[in-house]
Amino acid sequence: MDFPVSRYGLNFRLVTEDDAEFIVRLRTDKKLARYISHTDNSVANQVNWIKNYKRREEEGKEYYVLFEDAQTGPLGVFRLYKIEGDHFTAGSWLVKPDSEEFAALKSDLFLLIFGFEDLKMNRCFIDVRKDNKKLVRYHKMFFRPIGEDENNLYLDMDKAAYEHKRKYLTSILNL
Amino acid sequence: MDIESFVQEFAEQYDEIPAESFTPDTLFKENDEWSSMTALSIIAMADANYDVRLTGDDIRKSSTITDIFNIVAEKANK
Repeated sequence: MDFPVSRYGLNFRLVTEDDAEFIVRLRTDKKLARYISHTDNSVANQVNWIKNYKRREEEGKEYYVLFEDAQTGPLGVFRLYKIEGDHFTAGSWLVKPDSEEFAALKSDLFLLIFGFEDLKMNRCFIDVRKDNKKLVRYHKMFFRPIGEDENNLYLDMDKAAYEHKRKYLTSILNL
Repeated sequence: MDIESFVQEFAEQYDEIPAESFTPDTLFKENDEWSSMTALSIIAMADANYDVRLTGDDIRKSSTITDIFNIVAEKANK
């Protein structure tokens, strides 16, 4: 896939150092921060992290994607990482709380199509904080729980589950 | 299908707002908890409990729980 990509009324592009401030704003948002592990959330630290990430991106090992609305600007981010063999891990999914109400689902659909179809993966892993009840409910609709620890639930999705989810989201979003 | 049960099922999709504060006239997007995850929870609830597929447009054009109830009732009777 050649970024940037326009799909579902959103623009998807790879993160650059210029996005560090937006990402820090997301990570420190009062509503979103409840479910994020605490790290150094300075812009300078985020810039350094993105510099290092860009090397992994060049090697095709990781993709950190920002999606935005042409009118209102950046809405959120997600990341595909641990791209190994036939599987990948999806995470770092953050969406501005006041975004158009289905932007999050559109970005999730895009993420999965990118992983399963463009990168030709057969399995996706995620982890979600147990206390993020809505997100747990959402992921359990499509993913299979495969483990847990004190704070996190670990889930995976095979190609058949992906196909089901793609059809479901495409249907309810009228895409 | 009755509105009282539906309001209760609807309220269960919210984690931070007490169920007893929901009524048929509740403006269900007018709160801090509303998000696309809540919308999807409601869509999944209608699917599981009433075998009705709500769409994003159904959610977008609705304001109160009664609005959603009427759409679900209409689709369930088709």
